[in-house]
Amino acid sequence: MSFAVKNITYQYTPEGKPILSDLSFEIREAEVTAIVGPSGSGKSTLVNILSGVIPELLSQGVYSGSFDVEKGVSISVVTQAPENQLFGYGVEDAIAFGIENIGLDEEELSERMEYVLDLLNIQHLRKRSVATLSGGQRQAVCIASVLAMRPDILIMDEPVSSLDPNGKKMIQSVLNMLRASGQTTVIVDNNLDWFSDIVDHVIGMVDGKVVFDGEKETFFRDFQIQKKLGVTIPQAAEIYRELSRKIPDLEMFYTPEDAKMEIAMRIKSLEPPALQREPESEDEGFLSVTGLTKTFADGFRALIEVDAAFQPGKVVAILGQNGSGKTTFVKHLNGLLRPTQGTVAYQGLETTKKSVAQISRDIILVFQHPEHMIFEETVYAELTFCARAQGVPFSEEEALKTLEQYQLLEDKEELPANLSMGKKHILTILSVLFSSAEVVILDEPTLGMDLHLKDKLVDIIQALKNRGKTVIVISHEIPLVFDIADQLLILDEGRKLVQGAKGNVAARQDIFEQINIDLPPVVALSKYFNLPRVCFDVESFVEEVAANLA
Amino acid sequence: MRDFLQYVEMDSFLHRLDPRTKFAFFIMMSVLTSFIKSGVALLFLLAVFMVIWQVSHIGKYMITLLSKIKALLLFIILLWLALGLFTVNIGPAIYRTSFQLFGTPRQFSLDWFDLYKGLVFALRIFLMISAFYTVILSTNFSQIILGLRSWKVPYPISFGIGLVFQIIPMIISEFATIMEAQSSRGLEIEKCSALTKMKNYIIISLPLMFRVLSKGQAISLAMHHYKLDFKVKRTSYKSIRSSWMDGVFSAVFIAATVTTVVLHYRFNIPLS
Repeated sequence: MSFAVKNITYQYTPEGKPILSDLSFEIREAEVTAIVGPSGSGKSTLVNILSGVIPELLSQGVYSGSFDVEKGVSISVVTQAPENQLFGYGVEDAIAFGIENIGLDEEELSERMEYVLDLLNIQHLRKRSVATLSGGQRQAVCIASVLAMRPDILIMDEPVSSLDPNGKKMIQSVLNMLRASGQTTVIVDNNLDWFSDIVDHVIGMVDGKVVFDGEKETFFRDFQIQKKLGVTIPQAAEIYRELSRKIPDLEMFYTPEDAKMEIAMRIKSLEPPALQREPESEDEGFLSVTGLTKTFADGFRALIEVDAAFQPGKVVAILGQNGSGKTTFVKHLNGLLRPTQGTVAYQGLETTKKSVAQISRDIILVFQHPEHMIFEETVYAELTFCARAQGVPFSEEEALKTLEQYQLLEDKEELPANLSMGKKHILTILSVLFSSAEVVILDEPTLGMDLHLKDKLVDIIQALKNRGKTVIVISHEIPLVFDIADQLLILDEGRKLVQGAKGNVAARQDIFEQINIDLPPVVALSKYFNLPRVCFDVESFVEEVAANLA
Repeated sequence: MRDFLQYVEMDSFLHRLDPRTKFAFFIMMSVLTSFIKSGVALLFLLAVFMVIWQVSHIGKYMITLLSKIKALLLFIILLWLALGLFTVNIGPAIYRTSFQLFGTPRQFSLDWFDLYKGLVFALRIFLMISAFYTVILSTNFSQIILGLRSWKVPYPISFGIGLVFQIIPMIISEFATIMEAQSSRGLEIEKCSALTKMKNYIIISLPLMFRVLSKGQAISLAMHHYKLDFKVKRTSYKSIRSSWMDGVFSAVFIAATVTTVVLHYRFNIPLS
């Protein structure tokens, strides 16, 4: 059995342009289908149609075509924000909500509750309150709550976008269990990196049209379509893409394990290189943190005697699982939190007596959700907000040039709230280019971005670095972090484990095991093959491999 | 304090009570504080409340509540003092003087009775709010819905009330995050005049509105995904049962109610 989408066209208003145009494809039973496409390609609208929100709840649009499912077929959705989806204070309350709505008897309710708790291996969470769960646990409860309704199709819309590496691993294992149980699943996410092992079938959409419909292996071989769709693919698949240009008979791989086998057959055996240490900066930095300890009112110690130093013109990535103290740490840098003990000093002066707005002239923090930041009436006004708030002179010509450079010029009179999530995020980050701050802190800057926007983000970070500014990045996108950072600062349970040049930190396998974060494939494979240097991006890795072929 | 005016997870005596017992307590206390005007009776009620808070270890949350509404309570006291300034009451005066206004003799009289009136009204308001907060602090929104359902309140109403208590903490948290985000971008909300501060708070209301609207939309979509249909008869996975603790608590608050009423009639000083 399969579920067929036939010739669906949809526009939100009769005068508007179609968001979806003549869309046709099949969702195969007991398989995992990925729907990918750049921001604005119509993925969210498609989810609303598949789940019946359009036309049942949103009925004012123009809808034609059909989604052919038999009568009684049930479809459930897991969204990217479980806090907006879960109804109920406790885990049991939240899981029971959907099955109570369909009026099951007491015995059936209990049976389904036990079934999903066992299936997802979350029995230990059943007496907890939802508010106390980690991001991954909360998303697992969300999945349990919809699975309890026994849906024929489970749709997951960017289910890991706000999760840390541990949370992603948990959802990966949940998806593997579902796949093994024969659950038909649709994952809508432009980041294939985390679920490439699980997916069977890929549908690619651009501008509301299907431009790819095929098997996963075919998708990973089609480099042009990957680029067109702006999909983040696993770094191992990127290595294959670049390496296959140099080695034409290379067998396809998209996992680090397969990459090891394929490359091992072609590379010469190398002796471990002599230990190379990147020179570490000796000075204290123009932004320094000494003995920083933060104890909250409830007694929780979020930071414990953290020392750190930041130099101009460096990109520093802060790594750690959720709860390690990353956000608490950066909130001390810009004054949102005040230390219980220790000091934060900028250019030798403590920042304690300054207001957050005063500190922002030197140290600016861009929040994770752009919707917390944007409030101007036009994109142009939003771009120049920091400059105006801080009294920094700017020219209109310069602002328009920036908008043009990042493809926002045609939106300059648009209400920022109407932009796609990725564009909103780029806009809030661009606005700091017009600020006087010498230190720019970006908290999860890739949220909602497709690969095209991520490339633009890398450009912006490079531009800031070239101007001699310090960029501090918190991100769970580990390959990206290793690509752009000069230094890494690793936190674990509120303590600093290490800060140093990324080459030196990458050599500390023990630390990455302690924080349960995998090194990016290029780093792990460089070490595995004893390459003369540890590589941090795909291009340099491929160069090294090509130079050492047997 | 981000957990103000919301449920606090604890394992206290109050938390273990049947929500219906707590609703009954709230209703009874609301009625009592609406008509009791005797200072002695109200002080007795305050003492009972304090014992309940002490036993349940929620005293610190009540101190927070008091600090948050102290301006309101002070305003009530000052209002009654101001209203009574030109009326001479029976009883001792704090300060009294006579003067001529447009040729007419007037008396300016700051009486102990006006202060008493102000204190009584402030105490009534505080007890009303704290009775509500006592219930909210110890009853999560799922229990609120369950309790209301067992009282045969229609599900759309019970669910709506529960949803309000689920959303309030979200909005408080969103507001705090937006304040942080805007000040991080250079919007001054600490070291500025009251007028600028007010203007900047208005600025913050726009992203808050967007976030609340977007959350509202996400929640209504989630209701659809969970097939919430008020026309369909719902069942319930959990049920609530009263225990001996509910009996003890009910006995205490009934005794307290009777004592308060007796004290009211024995020590009543008419306020008008």
